[in-house]
Amino acid sequence: MSDRRMAVGNYRNDFLKEVEANVEDGEWVKMCMQCGVCAGSCPLGPYWEHPPQEIFMMIRAGLRDDVLSSESMWMCTSCYNCIVRCPRELPITHIMHGLANYAHRLGLAPKMNPTRRFAKLFWNNIAAGGRANELKLSLGLYFMDGFATGIKKSLQMLPIGLGMLKTRRLNPFGLLAGGNCKDRKGIQAMLKKAKELEDKRKGFA
Amino acid sequence: MAGEMKLGAYICKGCGLGERLDCAELAKVAQKEGKAQVVREHDFLCHADGLAMIGNDITAGVNQIAIAACSRRAKAEAFTFDGVCVTRANLREGVIWVHPDTDDARETTQEAAADYVRMACAEAKAMRAPAGNPNRGGSKRILVVGGGISGLTAAREVAAAGYEVLLVEKSDELGGIARHLYRRVPAKEPFTEPQETGLAELVNSVCSNPHITTLINSTIAQTSGAPGRFTVEIASTGGNNRSETVGAIIQASGFTPYNANALTEFSYGRTLDVIDQLGLEKLVAAADGAPITRPSDGKPVKRVVFVQCAGQRSADDGRLPYCSGYCCNTSIKQAMYFKDADPAIDTTIIYSDLRTPGNGEDFYRSAQRKDITFTKGKVSTVTPTAAALKVDFKDLILDQDADIEADLVVLATGQVPNSGIDIETSDEAQAAAADKSILNLTYRQGKDLPQLRYGFTDSHFICFPYETRRTGIYACGPVRRPMDMAQAMDDATGAALKAIQAVENAAAGRAAHPRAGDLSFPQYRREGCTQCKRCTVECPFGAIDEDEKRYPVFNESRCRRCGTCMGACPVRVISFENYSVDTVGAQIKAVDIPDEFSEKPRVLILACENDAYPALDMAGMNNQHYSAFARIIPVRCLGSVNTIWITDALNSGYDAVALMGCKHGIDYQCHFVKGSELATYRASKVDDTLKQMNLEPERVQLFEVAITDALRTPKLIDGLVAKVIEIGMSPLKF
Amino acid sequence: MAKLVPTNETILVAGGGISGMTAALEAAECGKHVLLIEKSPSLGGRVSQFHRYFPKLCHPTCGMEINTRRLKANKRVHILTMTEVTAVTGTAGNYTVNLLTRPRYVNENCTACGACAKAVSSEIPNAFDYNLGKIKAAYLPFVMAYPQRYVIDPSIVGTAEGEAANAACAHDAIDLDMKPESFTVNVGAIIWATGWQPFDAAKIQPYGYDRFTNVITSVEFERMMDPSGPTGGKLLRPSDGKEARNIAFIQCAGSRDRNYLKHCSRICCMATLKQSTYIAERYGDDPDAKVSIYYIDIRAIDRFEDFYQKVQADPRVTFIKSKVANITEDESSGDPVLHGVDTEGYHRYDNRHDLCILAIGMQPSVRAEEIATGMHGDANGFIETNDENGAIFAAGCAGNPLDVNRSVQNATAAALRAIQVVNRIAAAEA
Repeated sequence: MSDRRMAVGNYRNDFLKEVEANVEDGEWVKMCMQCGVCAGSCPLGPYWEHPPQEIFMMIRAGLRDDVLSSESMWMCTSCYNCIVRCPRELPITHIMHGLANYAHRLGLAPKMNPTRRFAKLFWNNIAAGGRANELKLSLGLYFMDGFATGIKKSLQMLPIGLGMLKTRRLNPFGLLAGGNCKDRKGIQAMLKKAKELEDKRKGFA
Repeated sequence: MAGEMKLGAYICKGCGLGERLDCAELAKVAQKEGKAQVVREHDFLCHADGLAMIGNDITAGVNQIAIAACSRRAKAEAFTFDGVCVTRANLREGVIWVHPDTDDARETTQEAAADYVRMACAEAKAMRAPAGNPNRGGSKRILVVGGGISGLTAAREVAAAGYEVLLVEKSDELGGIARHLYRRVPAKEPFTEPQETGLAELVNSVCSNPHITTLINSTIAQTSGAPGRFTVEIASTGGNNRSETVGAIIQASGFTPYNANALTEFSYGRTLDVIDQLGLEKLVAAADGAPITRPSDGKPVKRVVFVQCAGQRSADDGRLPYCSGYCCNTSIKQAMYFKDADPAIDTTIIYSDLRTPGNGEDFYRSAQRKDITFTKGKVSTVTPTAAALKVDFKDLILDQDADIEADLVVLATGQVPNSGIDIETSDEAQAAAADKSILNLTYRQGKDLPQLRYGFTDSHFICFPYETRRTGIYACGPVRRPMDMAQAMDDATGAALKAIQAVENAAAGRAAHPRAGDLSFPQYRREGCTQCKRCTVECPFGAIDEDEKRYPVFNESRCRRCGTCMGACPVRVISFENYSVDTVGAQIKAVDIPDEFSEKPRVLILACENDAYPALDMAGMNNQHYSAFARIIPVRCLGSVNTIWITDALNSGYDAVALMGCKHGIDYQCHFVKGSELATYRASKVDDTLKQMNLEPERVQLFEVAITDALRTPKLIDGLVAKVIEIGMSPLKF
Repeated sequence: MAKLVPTNETILVAGGGISGMTAALEAAECGKHVLLIEKSPSLGGRVSQFHRYFPKLCHPTCGMEINTRRLKANKRVHILTMTEVTAVTGTAGNYTVNLLTRPRYVNENCTACGACAKAVSSEIPNAFDYNLGKIKAAYLPFVMAYPQRYVIDPSIVGTAEGEAANAACAHDAIDLDMKPESFTVNVGAIIWATGWQPFDAAKIQPYGYDRFTNVITSVEFERMMDPSGPTGGKLLRPSDGKEARNIAFIQCAGSRDRNYLKHCSRICCMATLKQSTYIAERYGDDPDAKVSIYYIDIRAIDRFEDFYQKVQADPRVTFIKSKVANITEDESSGDPVLHGVDTEGYHRYDNRHDLCILAIGMQPSVRAEEIATGMHGDANGFIETNDENGAIFAAGCAGNPLDVNRSVQNATAAALRAIQVVNRIAAAEA
């Protein structure tokens, strides 16, 4: 039994209600009957510290910090196996993403979680130009952990990169400029407005 | 039956009998040894043609019929002839199918067939066609004891079938426990919301029904008689006592909620804020739509915890070992009372197995949708704190010890049946509990229905849920087994049918289940009776009382015709017209016993007709061979086996006797409850007799046999024959 | 059994399983006339396919024997086998029911002597054993079958095999010219007792019932455990005939699942507990014998709790609170490997077993709305108790997923409901 488990929640509904109010599809959490089929069906299951069904129970037990700072929901790769199998129709994939997003916005998500970092990188990349800049995204990913590892990873990927160049699957000028969508400003304004609306709805404003 | 007896014996040659057996020889046996006045062979006896031939003989005066063909279990409808005695020599399943078709076996096969023909003739000659019990009574009115949901439903349903009802309720109001219920668990789609109980309508329908007489403030001071003629003394708190005649009784005495005072770990009784489910119903009914408040200080309840299986599913002393079955759905319903009133109220149900079978699953889902929290856990304690209650439990999913605070804790305690006196306890214990009796039966064997387990008066039979051991008295509702309202109403309807059936059977003088329709009934020769009381003690159905001189009083309509009394009687004065010490004794005597040096032993098998005999038939159908030295006689129940048959058989030169009957003990399979158990006991007493006769004890065996033992029964017979060959032939052959 | 001219004081019972037999007998033993129809060639239904009952572990055949004896002795029940209801019209007290009788090709002369079966060599899948074995094309459905009369399978009619069966019959009992027969009866009340069918296990794709030989259903396992069943009562697994010692039961196979059956089928927990005792009984103290029961909630209601406690006390039986996620097959051994998570404390497992039994859910054989226009059923097709259903009453599993005891209880109640209707008719006509 970990230390977390000693730090007992009070089994109040407060956190469940918070999840219902703020997490996408969070109102489904209460429907879980603890059969565990989601946990067993997940292809990445063995890598989860807390499988979905356990997270649902932790939410009911009021273990707010443990849930929101967990790496677990960041493991979800959206394969939808759990949703297909759930006997209670819980949209588990969506709930996992919703929880991850909520934890991130609260600043409680684990800072070094690679999924979270990639997601951030991707979002910043796509939000900047309104379209994904693949070269910038890949390089950003390689250099995420510092210059030295970045060079190493880039060299490793060089043959593939050259191959892609040859078959015109990669535009080397993407690094400089261009590749953005036509109305970059419009997209950015739209995203800003959407964030405003969401923040207002979820109480972050 | 008066008049001349005339025996007809009919030998069938179909199904290979004609090829395997010398049927002309069998016909001679029937005529010379069987003393049949009419003997006929037929190629295909069960054919319309053969049946017409027998019918013509009956018209011409034949009134005892021995059919030598297939088993009595085959073609039973074809070989049923009203008003005459019919016996069957089982030449097919019992002879040609169980003995090899070889030249070596021909002689012993023919001998077996000849013996069965002799036996069938002898049995038919010893039989008389029964005409039904004359002591019928005429009442078709049904007494319903208990005016709760079960009793009210039973009364309504009996009346709806056109029968009169007398409904007796102890308290001053109809409705029972249901009166205290605010709502009930849903019994209809969409199974999502608590429903009105419907009690007022039910009470109205009963009170306004001209076929139902209702007596409140009344109890049963005495019940005597039998189906069709029960006399019931009804005591009223107003002193207005009366005597009524009824034909059958439905006992719907219900349950008492488990006394939660024993649950000290949950602080029941120590604080007003720990209540049981019924306590909550009263609280909610009292609030009548206003916020539900705490009993201790009247503050609104904001947090409520339900503890499932409180005092149930426990082997501890004073706890209920069983699951009451309804409590999971009830807690769900009760949690909804809170959620429907104010969704902000925290409701938590702590359970170990959530048991919501069938459409209860929808109700469970509906509760979750309403934000009721379900936690798989085991509650250890409930402790009052300064402002609230602390519930300590082990969360079985998160695998941690945990606690939760609550303003109110509801304990899901179970049902304790109101089944009156346990007649299996000592006389002193029964006398001490005399005022608890529900029926106050004047029966020799005790004042109330026998209990099966944990005080419930349930039937022991899976296929026959209404078979209580007191004919014409049917328990229903939670006194029979733990159940919810929907099941109780269904159960009451079933019991209503059984009660109606009991009065119809009694009126026609015929037996009830499992020998439904049997017109025979026990009779005894008073001058021979020694008043030993064995029959009155051993009757599994409490049918036999004693008169003032301690002679047995048979109460035929209470009798199930198993013959246990006949087996018990040491002076053999009890008999049925078509089943008696003589009908079996004559068969035993009819068998031809070869001399000691013939190397042809004879082994008598007395086989229970419900299980062992069909198993032997199955052996035949599967061509499982067994020794041709065995002679099998079906008996109604091993309980009917009189030890005189065993000693007579051994005295007349049989080499061994085996009794084949049903399993006994806690999971007994005997359809007459005690028959096989009593037979075992009685057979154990035969050892002394064997010693006196200088016979080895191995010559008498009792086998527990199940109906599926088609492979095993032939082995048992062969084993016994081998044993005989090992220890030698009986020295008592003459 | 006797001839009967149905009238509006007659009760029609559709379905000759334990519920239908009970309803018919209880009504007849109250003095009513009953027409009992059954789709298959013999009575007994699913119950006749059970090896033992829970919780007594007694044999259903025993109760069937008593019930068939009651039928043989009762002239008020008229039985039609191989007969189905094709249409129901009318109202309470006056129903017109269309019936269709399929040809048995064997008439009432049959003595069940078995000569036709001996003369025939072709075999058909044995439906009584859920097609796990084969049976002759001239057959008695099972040894206890009632009516005790053979059946000629249509596949040999018009062939030399059919003629051989006919020639072998010494009793003029085979009639290969029999045709389907449609007819109409008038009855006062109808008891619908068509029972249940096992959920189609192949639909639960992650369990691979259709792909893995050693994944079977509980109803099939029940047949295997019967000494007269397809394996002679031996616990031999289908792939290689090896004795299975390490056995898994998966609960809620189809039940409590919005993908399949949303209701709880009630009986499966107890059925599994019962079947676990078969294994314990067969292997005695053999340390290799193991039973693993994967469950969500064990629903051993009322006195059945005793049985649950008894099985729990057996050290060879393990309970794992988990809905199994999926099954894979170990290719070399054919062993099913179960994957999932034990939710009590979160333990992941990949458990290999010799044999896996799916505790299959229960669904109505005929859905309420298929019976007659306007019939009310619940969302799962079970018949509701509803005044608008007139005098068509459910008995047993046609109305609810029930165990045998409660089915019989319910069938007894149904018999009274029907009697109330015909008694009203009789009173009105008197």
